[in-house]
Amino acid sequence: MPNVIEIKNLTFKYKDKIALHNIDIAFPARQVTALIGPSGCGKSTLLRCLNRMNDLIEQTAISGEITYEGKDIYDRYYDVIELRTKIGMVFQKPNPFPMSIFDNVAYGPRCQGVKEKKKLQEIVKKALLDAALYEEVKDRLKESAMSLSGGQQQRLCIARAIAMNPQVILMDEPTSALDPIATAKIEELISDLKTSYTIIIVTHNMQQAARISDFTAFFLMGNLVEYGETDQIFSKPLQPKTEEYITGRFG
Amino acid sequence: MTQRTNFDKELDRLKLTLVEMAELVSANIKEGLSSFLKMDTEIAEANIKKDKLVNEYEQTIEKDCLRIIQREQPVAKDLRFITSVLKMVTDLERIGDHAADIAKMTIFMEKTHSSFFVNDIEEMTTVCQKMIKQAIEAFISTDKEIASAVIETDDIVDDLFESTKAKVAEAIRNKKVDADFALYLMMVAKYLERIGDHAVNIAEWVIYSITGERL
Ligand SMILES: Nc1ncnc2c1ncn2[C@@H]1O[C@H](COP(=O)(O)OP(=O)(O)OP(=O)(O)O)[C@@H](O)[C@H]1O
Ligand SMILES: [Mg+2]
Repeated sequence: MPNVIEIKNLTFKYKDKIALHNIDIAFPARQVTALIGPSGCGKSTLLRCLNRMNDLIEQTAISGEITYEGKDIYDRYYDVIELRTKIGMVFQKPNPFPMSIFDNVAYGPRCQGVKEKKKLQEIVKKALLDAALYEEVKDRLKESAMSLSGGQQQRLCIARAIAMNPQVILMDEPTSALDPIATAKIEELISDLKTSYTIIIVTHNMQQAARISDFTAFFLMGNLVEYGETDQIFSKPLQPKTEEYITGRFG
Repeated sequence: MTQRTNFDKELDRLKLTLVEMAELVSANIKEGLSSFLKMDTEIAEANIKKDKLVNEYEQTIEKDCLRIIQREQPVAKDLRFITSVLKMVTDLERIGDHAADIAKMTIFMEKTHSSFFVNDIEEMTTVCQKMIKQAIEAFISTDKEIASAVIETDDIVDDLFESTKAKVAEAIRNKKVDADFALYLMMVAKYLERIGDHAVNIAEWVIYSITGERL
């Protein structure tokens, strides 16, 4: 299993607050990796480092190295726009654009210069199918995305990410606002997507991490405490801190 | 570090019930054998009835485990703990069955006219009781050394079984024992030998619960 993303000795600061300390981790291709840990341990910060979303936050400092397909993404000649098409992101709260369902999904490809109507329709349909949303919206593609339920909106956001033809999808607590049925759909979707995409997901739901991920990384106060195969982490973690956290005796 | 007070209380309660069950089973073995040695069918009948109680313990513990799994969704050491308890009660229940089996031999034996005992089976009983006690202690105190010691102790039980077999065979050859009686005696020895094996299983689950490794 080749690694798509490799992080070496990554340290990240907001002003003088260190949010990540000397992180070394690699994400294998076409696998689901779950990032777990208590609130404020740096999971979202790490996700944002991977597609340089932290660039948008002022007074931050980063050191160490992150490579995507072998190339240093913080190299000053690295094409950030290209990076963000290759590494898509889905957020905790569904954030569809205030436009039609179709236009939401077509937005990325249009930005990439796809103009031909037929081609766009094809891309949108495939993305909606991949996101397991097509059947529910195929007759209302022109309606506003805001008319969808929360779970549908989240799958729309996943479709929007997929339409960019990414290699990696970052998901930050994608189901925390969803009911069990919508959650189950997204979880199933993640397993399906795994055949084509590398997925890195932040979740506070331990059972979810155990169910859907192949690898799990446990963070604590900006440190990577333990990283390993999910089966091992949830049956026999090596670090006492991991055990305390996943068995809910942390505090 | 105590955010799951209720859960931890449930686990403690489970430990306690398991200890009670193990003590009951152990007492039943001793009483089963004693009914056999004294040829006392009354003790035997009473002992067989007590096996029902063992079965009830098994069901109670199983139910508790399933409820805990459903409510608490245990992982890591908690999951290993519950899994081990579920497996251990099965072995304890089987030991209970064999204790009752021994008592049943007392009832069959009544119709024979011989009494030829071998000290080895008393010793086997003592060793088996000790194995069960230590295996459960190892579980409660999460001590894998004690659990390993239990596994080794089984060799003693096996040796005693072999020596019983040799002595009974010798007695048969010398016509010192009634044929039926010899059979019953050998069956008692075999039940004890099986009890030792179940105690080993329990000890192996204790080790799994502590280390995550299956022997
Ligand atoms: N924009 C920011 N400016 C300053 N500090 C920040 C900023 N974003 C995050 N932090 C701090 O960095 C640390 C890590 O935050 P981060 O959002 O990565 O945590 P998290 O693991 O995602 O937590 P949660 O599970 O609550 O989402 C926290 O102490 C947080 O307060
Ligand atoms: Mg976060």
